[in-house]
Amino acid sequence: MPRADVVVIGAGLAGLSCAAELAAGGARVCVAAAGYASTHWTHGGVDVAAPAAAKTSREGVTTLAAVDGHPYAWLAGSLDAAIAAHRTRMETAAIGVVGTIDDPLVAIPTAIGALRPAAILPAAQAPALRPWGGDGLLLVGIGRYRDAWASYAARNLRASAWADGPREVRAVEVDLPDLAELNNLNAPSLARRFDDAAWRARALRTIAARIPVGAWRIGLPAVLGVEAHAAVLEEARSALGHDVVELPSLPPSVPGMRLAAALERQILAADGRVQVGFDVVEVERDRRRIIAIHTEAASRTLRLVADAFVLATGGIGGTGVRAHPDGRLEERVLGLPVAAPPRDRWFSEDPLVPHPLEAAGIVVDDVHRPVGDDRMPLLDNVRVIGSALAGMRYLSERCGDGVALASAHHVASSLARPAVAA
Amino acid sequence: MVVIGGGATGAGVLRDLAMRGLTATLMERGDFTSGTSGRYHGLLHSGARYVESDPLSARHCIEENAVLRRIAPGTIEATGGYFVATPDDPDDYLDRFPAACAAAGIDAEPVALDELFRAEPLLNRGIRAAYRVQDASLEPWELVDATLASALEHGATAHRYRPVIGIERGPAGEIRAVRTRDARSGEEATVACRAIVSASGAWAGQVAALAGATLHMSPGKGSMLVFNRRLTSAVVNRLAPPGDGDILVPVHTVCILGTTDITVEDPDDARVTADEVRALLAEGDRLVPGMSGARVLRAYAGSRPLYDAAELDGRAQHDDSREISRAHHVIDHGARDGVGGLWSIVGGKLTTYRLMARDTVDAVAQSLGNKKPCRTADEVLPVPAGSRAYWLGDRLAAVEADGGGDADLVCECELVTRARLTHALDERSDSSLDDLRRTTRLGMGPCQGAFCIPRATATLDARRADGRLDDAAPDANDALRAFAAERFRGTRPIAWGDQLTELWLSAGIFRGTLAADALPPSAGRDDATR
Repeated sequence: MPRADVVVIGAGLAGLSCAAELAAGGARVCVAAAGYASTHWTHGGVDVAAPAAAKTSREGVTTLAAVDGHPYAWLAGSLDAAIAAHRTRMETAAIGVVGTIDDPLVAIPTAIGALRPAAILPAAQAPALRPWGGDGLLLVGIGRYRDAWASYAARNLRASAWADGPREVRAVEVDLPDLAELNNLNAPSLARRFDDAAWRARALRTIAARIPVGAWRIGLPAVLGVEAHAAVLEEARSALGHDVVELPSLPPSVPGMRLAAALERQILAADGRVQVGFDVVEVERDRRRIIAIHTEAASRTLRLVADAFVLATGGIGGTGVRAHPDGRLEERVLGLPVAAPPRDRWFSEDPLVPHPLEAAGIVVDDVHRPVGDDRMPLLDNVRVIGSALAGMRYLSERCGDGVALASAHHVASSLARPAVAA
Repeated sequence: MVVIGGGATGAGVLRDLAMRGLTATLMERGDFTSGTSGRYHGLLHSGARYVESDPLSARHCIEENAVLRRIAPGTIEATGGYFVATPDDPDDYLDRFPAACAAAGIDAEPVALDELFRAEPLLNRGIRAAYRVQDASLEPWELVDATLASALEHGATAHRYRPVIGIERGPAGEIRAVRTRDARSGEEATVACRAIVSASGAWAGQVAALAGATLHMSPGKGSMLVFNRRLTSAVVNRLAPPGDGDILVPVHTVCILGTTDITVEDPDDARVTADEVRALLAEGDRLVPGMSGARVLRAYAGSRPLYDAAELDGRAQHDDSREISRAHHVIDHGARDGVGGLWSIVGGKLTTYRLMARDTVDAVAQSLGNKKPCRTADEVLPVPAGSRAYWLGDRLAAVEADGGGDADLVCECELVTRARLTHALDERSDSSLDDLRRTTRLGMGPCQGAFCIPRATATLDARRADGRLDDAAPDANDALRAFAAERFRGTRPIAWGDQLTELWLSAGIFRGTLAADALPPSAGRDDATR
């Protein structure tokens, strides 16, 4: 029967980061998750905070910390250490992290040619943060790949008020080798082709031949390899003769897959276990303690016993919180109460603006134990992290990654102290 | 002749007028089939639903059911249908049902329960009795397009996005012209005519008012829920007087539970309320236990073109819109209001659209001295060029048979390829994404546009850059925002369970990764990109 110091439920950025940090500190860690999570659906950068008018992430964090019930109210102090730990993990994985929370939030281009604020990005996306000087942006579309819209994005970027943007924005559509007969290519299938050294050499030559004279940064779909990413990025820069900017598009997200894979490798390297693809089907509890969880496994259930359990199952988007037709919200693993606005105020009229429901989640105390209406802990050996937390609005505040990393670090450091698990 | 309204009835009237040699043009304020015809449950009625409450409508339905199977077979999936008595349905209704069907000329064949449950294993095992009827699933967009295509073959013309903003009359009150405005360009035009048929359904009161006539419609809002798969393979109806959530229709890959019936002041009021959703789910559970736990993709509502005929002879009007007959009425505003040459066709069902058109055109033609007989039941409708396959399997086969870039799926949920999308744009190069949805089913599946909206938007934009879009076509960014908003309207009332998670995924893509909320107002027009 597997026994761990800590079982982390959920394999998103929060869960994997927390498990990696615990495992690196010597704890016996097991990650159990129903599936991969936000990493695979999002852009792979580190959104810490970008509420309206914030000039830096730090300023954004300060603004959000003042919002009633926002996790930054007590997590702001953990953020620097959390991001430093993340940076170390990403550097170990040769993914890299560029930018800090004190850097200015810069407008970077998205795959449809809108501008979004960012300050901390993986190395492959980071050249978009650097002042453009006299550089132009050349967007490259890849024939047969449906989700890079270079011409449309370029037209939008030229129509945008892009302060301090590139000298000019252009688009080229390039047909890469051996793709002509394929249909419905998505980002991972292209990225796996880039992992192949011989193919990518041909592909990069084809792209290089289409680059006009001048100083450019080359905007490519975020498909520059999964396993061999660092090599692909390096070769792309040298073969194209310009800096390269990956632009993430529709899921599955290759930058997110790299991130999840890197964290998973680090957990395994520190003798942790990662079990993805199985739901929690039963929970054993004794008063205010969880004794064990049971997960589905091949033709049986697996009982996981631990001293502490970290709930990192995400909010509504991650299926950690599920809504019922009557408007009731259910935390799916432990049945914790979910704080949320009343059903008739969940949504705004326009889909592209903030919705009150975004703030729904689990209310916790300062060590991240779930609490009841009386603010007293409901379970002593459970910690809730990431977007399962109430009071954060990751879509509107662009704070999801910062809260994930800060809460993961906060909880990992507290659980590493033996007294807390008791 | 001018026909106002581009739903099934207007298209039917236009075709009938043209087939009798009358020169006619149709004006639709939005897209064709974007009003009530495109917002119903997709049922080709056998008429059995109305045998007791509305025998005239029932007879019309069964007659037209046979006609449509003959003239528009490609738009109908012969699912068959059942009427079932659940434990909650009244005994006396069940007792009277066979005789009432027989009286209306409707075949209702008793079905043994074990046979019923073999065919439809998810149905409530408490069902006490079942009858098989000639219900079927009908594709409204295909039907209206085919009807319009036939009208055009006979010399008629049809315009969409042309709301009628005025009606000009002569000194004796007679109709002289309609004034229209192009909804996209704002350009106004006057179309001279001798007569007008208002086939504007629930909006007929507003159209009549433009000519100075009074017509009091009682729009009946009917809300429906779309489930992500077929819960039954045939249409299933409750053996009870018409009520909320008593019809389940398999349509394409989904099934639709309908309907509520609420009298509304404004026919544009298509908001589905939480109470309606609750009522529909509660009734749905009586047909298919556990249905309320199945995944609902969206909710939508249409406005029934109900007309309380009690008004005609001064009887007390009905309080409940369910009491208003579904039968149709041809109103001659010349005789009634002194507006010679204006006719309104109100009431009726989509199933009876051809009959409604025939009765209308009979009256109009007679007044114009045209003695040609109606032939709309004799001539089979054309299959629209580049036929859009009804079956998902056919679409899949087409995807597999085709190759190259145009076989790429723009919409995975509904297997819409780039070829299909560009074909639809070739046909109507002023299309918005929502117009393309009606012709291709783009965005109608579980993800409700999360993946296909940016892809289709980029396709629209590329065609604009290549000069292959009509000037009236919406800007790409406007198209994206409008379609995202349209899809959201349908998801919001049923946002729970997996569909709420899907909505959050969609929000993550649109706002998080793509920052669609920060797009410039319109996409740039310059094409110095290649």
